Amino acid sequence: MSLPTVTIVGAGALGSNLAMIGRNLPAKLQVLDFDRVESKNISSQFHTYMGLGKNKVVALQAAMRGLFKVKIEARPVRLVEDNLKEMLGMSSVVIDCTDNYESRALIQRYAEWHGNVQILHCCLSAGGDLARVVWTEHFSPDYEGEGDVATCEDGRNLPFHVQAAALAAQIVQRYLEEGEKFSWQLTPYHVLRIA
Amino acid sequence: MAEIVPYGPNARLNVTINGQNGDYPDLVDFEMDDGAVKTVVQEALQSGYIPGIDAVEGANLDDFVVDRFPAADDLPPRLMLRPKTPFGLGRCPSCGYYGFNGVECFDCGYRR
Repeated sequence: MSLPTVTIVGAGALGSNLAMIGRNLPAKLQVLDFDRVESKNISSQFHTYMGLGKNKVVALQAAMRGLFKVKIEARPVRLVEDNLKEMLGMSSVVIDCTDNYESRALIQRYAEWHGNVQILHCCLSAGGDLARVVWTEHFSPDYEGEGDVATCEDGRNLPFHVQAAALAAQIVQRYLEEGEKFSWQLTPYHVLRIA
Repeated sequence: MAEIVPYGPNARLNVTINGQNGDYPDLVDFEMDDGAVKTVVQEALQSGYIPGIDAVEGANLDDFVVDRFPAADDLPPRLMLRPKTPFGLGRCPSCGYYGFNGVECFDCGYRR
């Protein structure tokens, strides 16, 4: 029996830690990101000095293979409308770990076109003390006005990011194994089912 | 004789602020508007009425959002007041695409 494909979009604070924690999911893991590893990422993301300067997913692929002997599919590209189908088309589950408006909107658009792909959104508040891990049918986007908001400039929130990534991995595991879809929100000492 | 319509507090109000989370001890009306929810919570926070959340003097909830979840399975109707999470986009009122950030649409360029 062939394994379903789980695609993580974004290999930053949430996505890279999710790939690490989700390495035993009963699925083929595919990770997308166009960005490269910078020294400021090392303290909060699952990237190492060995990957410095490399594309994030290429570095992640090497780390996963070297540390755990786990194979992930690396897609070092920016998600754009022209490659949406190619990048997400094989996926049973897409996990949105993006940190920009455009990619999140493209994923939402793709979910609307293709009802058979399940989308899990992972979002952090700007203060880094609230995470929402929510299936798209329970997801309400927040308008933020113009400009991006940094969610982690140092490593202070790493334990919380790993908690959120672990929660996302559990939610996907439950979906893949039981077909159940629950959405949760997380604060540093409290996890709450919202749907 | 006027018809008696069952009406009253029926929803749980959950609050997230400063990394803390708790339920407002009383049930509230699910249809209560966002401004009223924020007023109730602001006052409750001031007196430390919400278990699990330290008292907050003059909490600014302007940038918070209220999620509304109707009763489902084993969960009652819920209102959830929480900080925003960035990078969310809604449907553009002009083109209908998920590209509107409340100010402008990335797809059609519409500006409010």
